[in-house]
Order: sequence, then structure tokens, then C-alpha cells
Amino acid sequence: MRLRAPSILITVLLVLVALVFFFPLVWMVLSSFKTNSEIFQTPFALPTSIDFTQWATAWEVGNIGQYALNSIIATATSVLAILAFSSAAAFAFSRYRFRGQGIIMGALALGLLLPLQSYFIAQSTMFRDLYLTDTRLALIIPYTAMGIPLATYLLKVYLDAVPEELFEAARIDGAGDFRLFTLIALPLLKPGIATVAIFSALSSWNEFLLALLYIQDDSLKTIPTGLLAFSSRYVTDYGLLFSALSIITIPMVVIYIVFNKQITEGITAGSLK
Amino acid sequence: MKATRPWVPYLFLVPAVAVFGFAVLYPVAMTGWYSLTEWNGYGAQVFVGFANYVKIAADTLFAQSFLHVIFYILATLVLEVLVGLILAGIVASRKASLWFRVAIFTPVMLPMVVVAVLWSFVYNPDFGLVNGLLEAVGLGDWQRVWLGDPATALIAICVVSGWVFAGFYMTIFYAAFKQIPSEVIEAAKLDGANEWQLFWRIKVPMIRNAVEVGILLCVTGGFQGFDLFYVLTNGGPYYSTEIPTTYLVRAVFKNGEVGYGSAMAVVLTLVVVVVGLLFARLRRIGAHL
Repeated sequence: MRLRAPSILITVLLVLVALVFFFPLVWMVLSSFKTNSEIFQTPFALPTSIDFTQWATAWEVGNIGQYALNSIIATATSVLAILAFSSAAAFAFSRYRFRGQGIIMGALALGLLLPLQSYFIAQSTMFRDLYLTDTRLALIIPYTAMGIPLATYLLKVYLDAVPEELFEAARIDGAGDFRLFTLIALPLLKPGIATVAIFSALSSWNEFLLALLYIQDDSLKTIPTGLLAFSSRYVTDYGLLFSALSIITIPMVVIYIVFNKQITEGITAGSLK
Repeated sequence: MKATRPWVPYLFLVPAVAVFGFAVLYPVAMTGWYSLTEWNGYGAQVFVGFANYVKIAADTLFAQSFLHVIFYILATLVLEVLVGLILAGIVASRKASLWFRVAIFTPVMLPMVVVAVLWSFVYNPDFGLVNGLLEAVGLGDWQRVWLGDPATALIAICVVSGWVFAGFYMTIFYAAFKQIPSEVIEAAKLDGANEWQLFWRIKVPMIRNAVEVGILLCVTGGFQGFDLFYVLTNGGPYYSTEIPTTYLVRAVFKNGEVGYGSAMAVVLTLVVVVVGLLFARLRRIGAHL
């Protein structure tokens, strides 16, 4: 029993670990209220006042509103497309038997295994030749494509659990295939759709490599590449950069704290496949 | 269920298959073709057979970049998976741990670029947290230009990765620990198992499935790493943090070596796929033991 530490000690340990994890974020917010010289002279001191003018400046010169809007457009469009296309595909795989089913499912399952590196080089030359680079579609198309395999797989698992009689009964009542999908399958898929929406949204929101390669036009950049452009324009304006980081981080932390149950469930389901 | 018309199932598949085929499958095949050519992305494409692969075999920088990414994977297995497992074990046996789990999971939510820019400040030699803390506890001699020193840059990046993902693995393992029936734990306690034995001999083996998935995610995800490396060091200083993806992105998009970069991408893809398949096979064999 010598290894069973007293409960208080473990609590203290947990608080310390939590501090280590949270401290960089707290330091970021505190520093966002400081001027450059304060950051250098007293990096650990509390700011002299909570003054949001630097945040306002960062929002203005950093073009953060535009980047956020671009991120929202790219994320929302891809998530909607993933949900629509994947639930239809999951319905077909789960409820029908047809020629070529195995091959098509296998091809989609490849998407669970293949890394981004296996296709982004040819994708970039293809998008260039099709004049898709520097358009919103340059991100929406790959984000949708990358999300489809896992979403289809998860939604199929949900649909497989639905008893066949439900569909047969509706069929006898005269429902066609499309109505079976929209009136029976989709409502039953709601919890699965919420899960898929959460992890698809997060991965689109945070995606960086493709956004870096396909979008040079500053007015179309999303938050990750926009922030990078901003930070290389204002390399040494630390107060301003801390403000920009805080503006981006705080809403996400708030969203996470409010929806932490759904978000952790969504992300873990998305990774456990 | 029978479709009203035989072509109906295909109709439901068209959008998903079309987008996936257009944006993923076709480019995968084309990347494979590029890897057999010499091409700068614009001019004439010359078929060169396996010359690019021969060149890779002799490219010490590419070999080094693989060693770096393997070091990164080993370090993150400890900093992310092992730390996450231990934290989950501590937290799962206590009440009122929600605040703790929320705090530790928060970084997972943030874009990697945000994390990277923040940590470039944490490591800043003049006002950064790390050097400041060392100074404060009287270890001023240990201060470094963490990201600018070839001896420390790679491990510094691994630490950032650990900061982000330890909470992620903790969450996965926490959910698994919560599934263990309490009778099992009680029985082991009655048999006189201490906390340490209880954790490693009873609890961890019982969530073996989750641990295996965690290791697989960490390994295959590690090979695909890019964001942190690109923003924090972009392979430098002196190539000490060069990984396959930073190397091939520079080859293709800076130096116009599309063929050579594609061959590197194919090699990396094969490694990820083979590791993934081998792992699945090992698990199947392991399940019979």
C-alpha cells in the first residue's frame, strides 16, 4: 500500500498538471493587454490595465474578421456536403445489395488509411490546371472528400442497427426509395449526424497544409493561414500577436466549455473509427 | 431490402463517390505516375522509371528526415499516449474531475498554427515562459534558444505536441476506464492488489483495445505531422527538425522537383499504409493469444 498516495497529494498534483497545461493560454491572454516593452521587461507581471484597444487594432490590421468568415464558409459548406453525401452513401451501403458494392466500399475505405501526402501533390497541379486555386472551392472540395470516408463508415454503422421491418413497413405504405431515405433513415441518423458534424467541422476549421498551398489571395485565407500571414507581417509586434491569438482562441475555449460533452464524444468517436 | 429500380442504390452513391474519386483517388494515382517522371510542374514531363526512388535511397537528408520523424513518434508515444494513460488512470478513480478533463483537453480544440505561434513565444529566448521559469527557479544556466539550437529544437517540438495531445489520449482512455465493471476492481482489491498493480495488471490490460488504437493513431498520425514543424522551425536549424513532409513540400513547391517530391510522398504513404495494416494484423493475432 506504500504507493497509495494520500488523496490531497493527488489533488495537488492534478492542480499542478492542470496549471502547466493552462498556463501558456493564461499567459497569452495576460500578454495581450501589454505593450511590447512590458512584454520584454516584465514577461510574468500582470498587465497594468485590462485595455482592449490592442485587441481592436489586431482585429482591424490582422483582418481577422475576414479570415474567420472564410473559415466559417469553408467549414459550413464542407460539413453540409459531407453530411448530405455520406448519409446518402451510408443508406445505399446499409440497405441495398447491389453489384460492385464491395469494390466501392473498399475504395472509400482506402480513404481511412491514405494520408494527405498520398494525393496533395497531384491535387495541387490538378486544381491549378482547373483554375480552382484561389477560389473557395479549392478548400471545400478536398475538405469534403477527406471527410466522406469516415463519415460514411460511421453513419453506416448507425443505420445497420436499424431494424429492417421499419423500412419494409414504410415500403408497404407506398414510400419510394428517396422517401425511405429522407423520412425514415435521416431522422434515425440524427445522433450520428451530430457526431460526424462535430469532428468534420473541427478538422476543416483547423486544416492548414492545403490552405497554405491553395490560397495565396489574402482575402480568401482561413484562420490558420491568415494568422500565419499576419504573424509574418508583424513578426516583432508581440502585443498585437498575443491579442490576435487570444481573439481566435477564446471563442473556441468558450464553445468547448459549453459543449464539452458533445465535443469530446464527437472527437473520440471520430478517432476510434 | 430491394430497390424499386436497380439503379437506385448507385444514385445514392454518386455524389460521395464522385467527390472522393475526383479529389482523392485520381490524385493518388497521378502522384504515383508523377513519381516515375522528372517534371518541374509546367514543362515537359519525362518518364524516368524508378530513377527518383534510386535517388531517394541515396539521399541522406531524406533518411535523416525519417529518423527525425521516428524520434518524434517515440517521444510522443511517451509524452502523449503514456502521459495520457497515467492521467486517465488517476482521474478515472476520482470524483469531480470534470474541470481537470476540460482544462487538459482544451488545446486539442485549437488550430495547430495557433498552438505553434503561441509556443514560439513560450520558447522565445528573450521573454518566453520556459527561460523565464528557469531563471525564476535559479536554473538560469539551463536557458537556451530552444527552437534555434539543433540540439533542442526537435525535442522542443515534441513537447508542444505532447501539450496538445496528452489530453486527447487521456479522454479516450478515460472513457475506456469508465467501462470497466467495478466488481473487477473490487475483487482485485480484496485479493490485496495495490494501486500500482491494480493499474498495470488489471485496468490497463482491460482497456487494451483503446490503448492499441491510441498507439496506432499516434504512430500513423506522427508520420503525417507537418503543421507544428512548418510553423515552428520549417525543418531548421541545420535540418535538425526536417521531417519527410517539410522536405517534400519544399522540394515540390519551392524547388519545382515534382517528380522527386512525389516519389518521397509515395514512400511515406507506403510506410503509413504498411504500418496501419501490420498493426491491424498484429491486433488480430494478439486477439487470439
